Amino acid sequence: MFFHIVLERNMQLHPRHFGRNLREHLVSKLMKDVEGTCSGRHGFVVAITGVDSIGKGLIRDGTGFVTFPVKYQCVVFRPFKGEILEAVVTMVNKMGFFAEAGPVQIFVSNHLIPDDMEFQSGDMPNYTTSDGSVKIQKDSEVRLKIIGTRVDATEIFCIGTIKDDFLGVINDPTAV
Amino acid sequence: MSVEPFNRLVKLSARAFYDDITKGDNQPKTGRSDNRGIAVVVLDALTRRQWVREEDLAKDLKLHSKQLRRTLRFFEEEKLVTRDHRKETAKGAKIYSAAAAATFDGQKFGKEGEEKIKLHTHSYCCLDYAQIYDVVRYRIHRMKKKLKDELEDKNSIQEYICPNCGRRYNALDALRLISMEDESFHCENCNGELVAESDKLAAQEAGDGDDNARRRRREKLKDMLQRMEVQLKPLMEQLNRVKDLSIPEFGTLQAWEAHASAAGRAAGDSSSNDPSKSSQGYGGTPMPFLGDTKVEVALPGAEGNQVDVKSETASAQKVLPPWMIKQGMNLTSEQRGEVQQESKMVGGSGTGKLSDDKKSTVEDDKKNIQDEYVKAYYEALLKKQQELDTGEKQQESSNSPTSNGLPKMSSNRQVGMKVKRDEDEGDDDVDWEEAPVTGNTNENYKVDLNVEVPEASEENEDDDIDWEEG
Repeated sequence: MFFHIVLERNMQLHPRHFGRNLREHLVSKLMKDVEGTCSGRHGFVVAITGVDSIGKGLIRDGTGFVTFPVKYQCVVFRPFKGEILEAVVTMVNKMGFFAEAGPVQIFVSNHLIPDDMEFQSGDMPNYTTSDGSVKIQKDSEVRLKIIGTRVDATEIFCIGTIKDDFLGVINDPTAV
Repeated sequence: MSVEPFNRLVKLSARAFYDDITKGDNQPKTGRSDNRGIAVVVLDALTRRQWVREEDLAKDLKLHSKQLRRTLRFFEEEKLVTRDHRKETAKGAKIYSAAAAATFDGQKFGKEGEEKIKLHTHSYCCLDYAQIYDVVRYRIHRMKKKLKDELEDKNSIQEYICPNCGRRYNALDALRLISMEDESFHCENCNGELVAESDKLAAQEAGDGDDNARRRRREKLKDMLQRMEVQLKPLMEQLNRVKDLSIPEFGTLQAWEAHASAAGRAAGDSSSNDPSKSSQGYGGTPMPFLGDTKVEVALPGAEGNQVDVKSETASAQKVLPPWMIKQGMNLTSEQRGEVQQESKMVGGSGTGKLSDDKKSTVEDDKKNIQDEYVKAYYEALLKKQQELDTGEKQQESSNSPTSNGLPKMSSNRQVGMKVKRDEDEGDDDVDWEEAPVTGNTNENYKVDLNVEVPEASEENEDDDIDWEEG
């Protein structure tokens, strides 16, 4: 699920950036530092949409670096248990398949794949129904439900299922 | 409101769930502490009793009291049984010795110390039918849910196990476990290839063909589910049967004792407070105090017609039955009086249905009269109390309108002032009561009521004045 929230961060700026463009430097550094990171609490920071305030800088003894407290708005993405996501399959093996929904990785184990789909090994491993009408392989798009998340300080990993109504392949790359 | 279906429920669930319970698994199983099957016996015995002292129960069942207590504690944990512990003196003993308080741990067989008079803690137990019903339903629900979840693999996180070192992983570790060389999971310890762990419930037939094992497991689960359905069918049926019945409630030990002893006195047995007597005496008879509650239900039924009318017109106003109204209840009785008058006014304004209702109550005339009499009487009492403070001046002010409005009544009153109060009052009340009943036809009824009600109040005031003067 996406959230638009306000976060705060202490930014350290090298003295060489001091000058007219200090603010721009600060914001671009913030974007470089923050976007794409993941915190267990808020999820993945997708994009910074604005900077609310930049506090007073504090010169650090000895280095000359200056620390600015910065408040910024950003879009974060945090997966939740029970959430339905659309994801792209990245890897298929006999244990199941991995998929990505944006920054988050999801593993679907083979017992959470419908029973009528069987693993086919080969140079393009896939899960296929017996009549061959539905096939899950690399780059397939699937709709899945998250049934478990592991949230660490800096990463989030999910396991999902496609063994439910309206879940499964939503487009077949080979058919296109 | 019979206990019987609930007893059947208890017996069924005892046999279904507690048949092979051996409580106290940590203890070595000697012949004596082996209490397999005891659970069923105890529950059955409890269905034939209400609150019972555990010692008595132990004696009846020829069990050691400790053994019984252990079983009962288990049932208490299972929420089938409520227990109560109470300190009591041994038979005929007077309360004595603070040191005895130290021995209050657990109940003892009464003969232990005759010379030392002690406070014993006696434990009582009773089936908690309401909770049993919920517990059994919840248990069945959980059983089914577990099996179904297993069957459909819903929300279950696959576990993996390393056959070499026995280390376990689950699907959440998948990202770390996947190896670059081949497409399977490898143990972080020994780099052995992990295998998916087959189910916990079904037998662990090490799956050579993974799919095969899965299929077999599914069949097993399905079979288990089916067998469960079949075997628990009588229990489910009993649950359904019991669903709409009112659940027998024995209340707390104290409440039950009060009821039981009251019923006992009614039956001629004068065991007032002796719990052992009461528990033995009425252990077998189902719900001895039910009669009382029935009486309570019946009394409002006697004037039920009136209550109905009121609940139709003045919606949801709680009307106290007249026998409940005592002198202390100023507010409620006042409320009731107002409601009564209002509803009568509404009736007067003309709903045919209402008067029809009234008509249909002709058989109950006598009861109605009596009830109304009681009501009016207490109303009068109440008003008197309220007007105790207001002095003589109010008398005059209230005298004048009555004499103006209803000369007959006022004359009565004046006569009554000289004569004895009680007779006067009685006469008035009877007259007033009979009037609406006799004039029961549709047209008269409204008029009568409208006239009568204010009359009544004025009359009451008059009565009050009489009282004051007397």
